[in-house]
Amino acid sequence: MLGFSHRSLTNFLFWVTQKKWFLVTMMVGLILLFLPTPVGLTLEGYRTIIIVITALMMIITEPIPLPAIAMYILVAEVYFGIGTANEIASSFMNDAVFFIMGSLMLAVAIIKQGWDTRIALGIIKLTGNKTANIVFGFTAISAILSSFIGEHTVAALMLPIAMTLIRFTSDDVSKVSNLSAVLLFSIAYGCLIGSIGTPSGGGRNVIMITYFRDADLSISYLDWMMKVYPLVLIQIPIVAWILQKSFVPEYVHLDSSVRKLVIQVAKSRKMTGRNTVAAVIILFVFLGWVFFSESIGLGTIALTGVLSYMVAGFVRWEDLNRNTHWGVIILFGATISLGFNIKATGAAIWLANQVLNLFGNIMETFPFMSDAIVVLMTTTLANVLSSSATVAVLGPVTLNMGSDALHTGLVTAIASAFGYFTAVAAPACTIVYSSGMIKAKDFLKVGWKVGLMSMILLVIYANTYWLFIN
Amino acid sequence: MKILIAVGSKEYSGPTLQVGIKVAKAFNASTTIVDVGEKVSEFSTKVVGLTQERMESWDFDRPGVDVLEWAFKYLAENNFIEPQQIEAGFPKTTLVEKDGRRAEVYLKGTVCDDVNLILRNGDIIAELRDEVQTEFYDVMIIGGSGKRRMVHDMIQYIDSSIFVVKNYDPSQEYQILIAVDDSPGTRKAIKYGVRVAQAFGIGVNLLTVSKQDHFGEGYKGAADRAAKFMHRSGIEAKNVFKVGDPAKTIVDTAGDNHIIIMGASTRSPIKKFFKGSKPLDVMENCRCPILIVK
Repeated sequence: MLGFSHRSLTNFLFWVTQKKWFLVTMMVGLILLFLPTPVGLTLEGYRTIIIVITALMMIITEPIPLPAIAMYILVAEVYFGIGTANEIASSFMNDAVFFIMGSLMLAVAIIKQGWDTRIALGIIKLTGNKTANIVFGFTAISAILSSFIGEHTVAALMLPIAMTLIRFTSDDVSKVSNLSAVLLFSIAYGCLIGSIGTPSGGGRNVIMITYFRDADLSISYLDWMMKVYPLVLIQIPIVAWILQKSFVPEYVHLDSSVRKLVIQVAKSRKMTGRNTVAAVIILFVFLGWVFFSESIGLGTIALTGVLSYMVAGFVRWEDLNRNTHWGVIILFGATISLGFNIKATGAAIWLANQVLNLFGNIMETFPFMSDAIVVLMTTTLANVLSSSATVAVLGPVTLNMGSDALHTGLVTAIASAFGYFTAVAAPACTIVYSSGMIKAKDFLKVGWKVGLMSMILLVIYANTYWLFIN
Repeated sequence: MKILIAVGSKEYSGPTLQVGIKVAKAFNASTTIVDVGEKVSEFSTKVVGLTQERMESWDFDRPGVDVLEWAFKYLAENNFIEPQQIEAGFPKTTLVEKDGRRAEVYLKGTVCDDVNLILRNGDIIAELRDEVQTEFYDVMIIGGSGKRRMVHDMIQYIDSSIFVVKNYDPSQEYQILIAVDDSPGTRKAIKYGVRVAQAFGIGVNLLTVSKQDHFGEGYKGAADRAAKFMHRSGIEAKNVFKVGDPAKTIVDTAGDNHIIIMGASTRSPIKKFFKGSKPLDVMENCRCPILIVK
């Protein structure tokens, strides 16, 4: 056909098959581009919304590599006249991107220290050998650790501990399917509920703080903790309970497997001076976040921690380079740039007004409905694309949806952690799923219960506790 | 001759491996067994890789290694690899990783020199296509899939011949059914048919189907040549002539006790993409193993 060989036609068709979502996205973008600009929206604002829609479609379907999506966002912003090349470039890099870069590298540095054996001993000492206590312990430790050092780091450290307990209980996976599910979900969901606790719990929290600063609002590390941490603590026992009701463990006690785990851990290396120094660096990073993050930024402090690890020789640059996903960092930079331009072009206010026009009456009659709508929108988006990307593009919109931007912003950041429904919604879920011990459908089976609980609890919490402490 | 056997799990890939090794022995073929693991969202690839490194320090294998270990045991039981290697056990420490998405173990074979075990991760069609294109396999052997899209993509995009081990029952007595017509694909199908018949020690039915109620010279000549070639190769073969829709007739005649062998369609890729092809129809609807020769 037209001089093309069968092979070149086959190659072309294969490309079409592999890139079908890219082609569909471009078609949608083109159609939107030729539609008239909606009333009340500037041309730049409309074009920004088109970039948001097309970028989100590609982030969800991943037809091209993530850094390519980032490049698409950046060049489209310039070509569409949303900003000059220099303006777009400067909106691309800020403290939130520094933080994401620093936390991904800190994760590598921390995981390389092999602290999982210490954590294993700690959990067992706290919980004993009763399965219910162990599940609670896994949920609590995952939540508390991830509230400070990020969900992906904690999930990576906790997974081998849970898998070892499962293996020591039975080699036949069919005999421990519920035990596997309950332990692995306690890690994943523990990490998710914990990641909201402090600003350093996740990149999304730092992105929201960046938006707060841009709107001349301010919240310190301790203020955030005071407002949000009680919600973490309330959710821990509820999640542990829901998990045990959904997957009733086959064993009430794990006597022999706990004993074997303790023996295995005892065989591993003892705490060395190097381990102590590495832990002290993390402690200083935490103290830096608490006391200096408002003046020098969370990202700068995270990068200082990474720098200290490299200077001390605790992690090699080769390991950091190999295990840090630079493409993800570039993509988050691009989505944050997009977020700033949603606000700058007036698209954020226009989108917020559309939601208010739609639900304004209900929101006036029932004030809590405003939070419920934000929670629903954020949770839905967070389950189909990354939570940080959700906050980056949704944050500027939701900040305009309530009378108290700080309140709505916090609700958005918290709800973005409710990625319980799919195995790909959050890194912690993907990590436990990669063990091969739980099925994709299990996430929906238990995720809806935990998700519903978290959403209802957040709306009640935000409209009672926050009013009380204010 | 190079053969690629694609396995997915210990539970379902037994027949695929069994047939694959039998065919590999018949062809004295250099054999590779590949397991393609699930695609991980790009957001989490690095952190999942890092977690797997931690898991290995706790003496856990990464997903897929258990499937390769199972394949190794099967090869060992069937003396397909050298005794020294069987004695040394599965060499998981020599699983060499390339590009972060392909890891392989080299073994020394008894029937052929090279036996490789490979782990890949990603979209199954893209990974198998890449493997076939970079290593130049002649035949890919894979288990049956109920997904029409997957069957379509396999036939359309994978360059090698494809043997789909569908509904294979080791206790069943099979015969070979070769679909004969005057296309160039038939000649290749006949050659493969002889080797497969020798490997399984079974007879061959040469089926010629015409849409009209008469058979042209081209069809009759092709059937005669096929029968003569079979007899010269010492294979018991008989010609069967039927009238009807070719794909449906082949499927009905094959039932569940034949191994169908047919040439690939010579239609243009664009037509195959939109309208499908006879081999695609047969592969989708048949209830027995099928080899599409390219």
